[in-house]
Amino acid sequence: MRALCWEGVGKLAVRDVPEPRIRAEGDIIVKVRASSVCGSDLHLINGYLPAMREGDVLGHEFMGEVVETGPGVRRLKVGDRVVVGSVVACGGCWYCRTEQYSLCDNSNPQPVFTEKLWGHSPAGILGYSHAAGGYSGSHAEYVRVPFGDVGAFPVPDGVPDDSVVFASDAMPTGWMAADFCGLTGGEVVAVWGGGGVGQMAARAAQLLGAGRVIVIDRLPERLAPAADRLGVETVNYADTDVLEALREMTAGRGPDACIEAVGMESHDVGPAYAYDKAKQTARLQSDRPTSVRQAIMACRKGGTVSIVGVYGGLVDKFPLGAAMNKALVLRMGQMHAQRYIPMLLDRLAAGEIDPGYLATHPLSLEQGVRGYEVFEKKQEGCLRSVLHPA
Amino acid sequence: MTSNGTRWVLLGAGALTAVGVGRTVARRRRRHQPERQDGWYVVRRGITVDRPVDEVIGFWTDRERLDRALAEWATLEQLADNRWRCVARDPAGGGTEWCAEIQVAGPGRLTWRVTDGPAQHGTVELVPAPQDRGTEIRAELRYRSGRLRRAFGLAAGDEPDLGLRDTLRRVKSLIEAGQVIDTRRDPSGRSPAQEAATDRVREKLTTGGRA
Repeated sequence: MRALCWEGVGKLAVRDVPEPRIRAEGDIIVKVRASSVCGSDLHLINGYLPAMREGDVLGHEFMGEVVETGPGVRRLKVGDRVVVGSVVACGGCWYCRTEQYSLCDNSNPQPVFTEKLWGHSPAGILGYSHAAGGYSGSHAEYVRVPFGDVGAFPVPDGVPDDSVVFASDAMPTGWMAADFCGLTGGEVVAVWGGGGVGQMAARAAQLLGAGRVIVIDRLPERLAPAADRLGVETVNYADTDVLEALREMTAGRGPDACIEAVGMESHDVGPAYAYDKAKQTARLQSDRPTSVRQAIMACRKGGTVSIVGVYGGLVDKFPLGAAMNKALVLRMGQMHAQRYIPMLLDRLAAGEIDPGYLATHPLSLEQGVRGYEVFEKKQEGCLRSVLHPA
Repeated sequence: MTSNGTRWVLLGAGALTAVGVGRTVARRRRRHQPERQDGWYVVRRGITVDRPVDEVIGFWTDRERLDRALAEWATLEQLADNRWRCVARDPAGGGTEWCAEIQVAGPGRLTWRVTDGPAQHGTVELVPAPQDRGTEIRAELRYRSGRLRRAFGLAAGDEPDLGLRDTLRRVKSLIEAGQVIDTRRDPSGRSPAQEAATDRVREKLTTGGRA
């Protein structure tokens, strides 16, 4: 079969690879119908999460059709149209039982790297390097999904592939970000990053009761759909002082909750950004925490900072003093896909969330390299490239 | 030109740094050495399984399920009411094999001794975990090894402690998830030589770690 493989830092290629096979009782094989690029793939492609091996198949946000099931699979059958959570979860450990699926104890068979780096190993993630288990990803014609009954969910008829694909990662990540904020109604929520996850976090905050949502980015092609589709307010950090603008918009209080949906390769303007970029390029820090710093500085006293952008290692100049003295609540984590997906599919079917507009670049799998190029370089107004192997 | 004085200062500073680094490394190494008792190395490792003690014991007494779970890497043979023989293979397929005799020493407690292989014995104890968190499997392993052999073993990755931690993790996964996940042979665009190199990396990332 054909698959999009990592070939070295910054290099991708579509290659012939063997087809996956059922390896355990709970496995299913999914014929991929739509597989989206994700901002967090860029950290892998560019070598900031240094656990890729040449030939690894990328892709973790996808949907498709079940074509084979292991003998232990009960809930799914061949022919089901399913969306699969990016995070692999066994369903049987304490973390899974308490719905903290991205912390699953048993789904990363290669835990040594992350145990050394982070103290403990979180769950495995499909197509997400050898730090996350070394699973083969979804930018391929077929993909093996372990613990199929736990991780794959039949999708409602009538919702198009290019919408439902985002229930795999962008929607649950955005939802969890808003969930972290503990909204009770009427709050002001600021969202850093107007990409797929940021847009979904903004929508989730609205549905969870936020009074006002403000999206911060520098790209008009991200700010415009946020304003038009979701009806949120926007701040363009390229021509506005973000902290000043947020203070002004909230009459001095600052947002009640700040969601960071950017991650370790965040952009900014000015000398501080140049300094971070230089340090990261020289590998003196692994992550650029620009937007986290800003979120902490902007957040009102006693507010919540919710981080769902991906970070891998160490950051420099973290404003711990601001967080401590303002008594902020910091919440963060990889999303617990399996907890949120069924609820999100209901909301998709009911039309409460419509992420279809994120798929600005529907492409074939063979065009995968270009898909990542326009996505990374933010060309042609690209929000997300979605690959279609079939 | 650097003056003689500067040279002496640099040399002194260099020597002090070297001594400091050496002492730190030595202290670190000592902290990571297993305890020694009567000529045995002793290591203790524990893992928490999210099942009550009865269910953990039940897993070992359900023969059919156990055989299916262990199929790839070990066979169990019951010798007497409370004695078992276990033959385990290296899951990576290295061809190493060892036999152990397991004896039930009381409720939630068993002892084992390697009968054919390196000198090792130990105990396993099942303790209820606090806050309804299941069962703590607490294992103690005693093994003999010379300092040199241990150093080489560590470098080669066949340190008994690493094996113990692997085994505990596998047991936990078998009881909780019904399988031990394996991503080797997942599809990739690698040549056979690249795949073999990647398998070695996978092995390093799989072996040991925190129990």
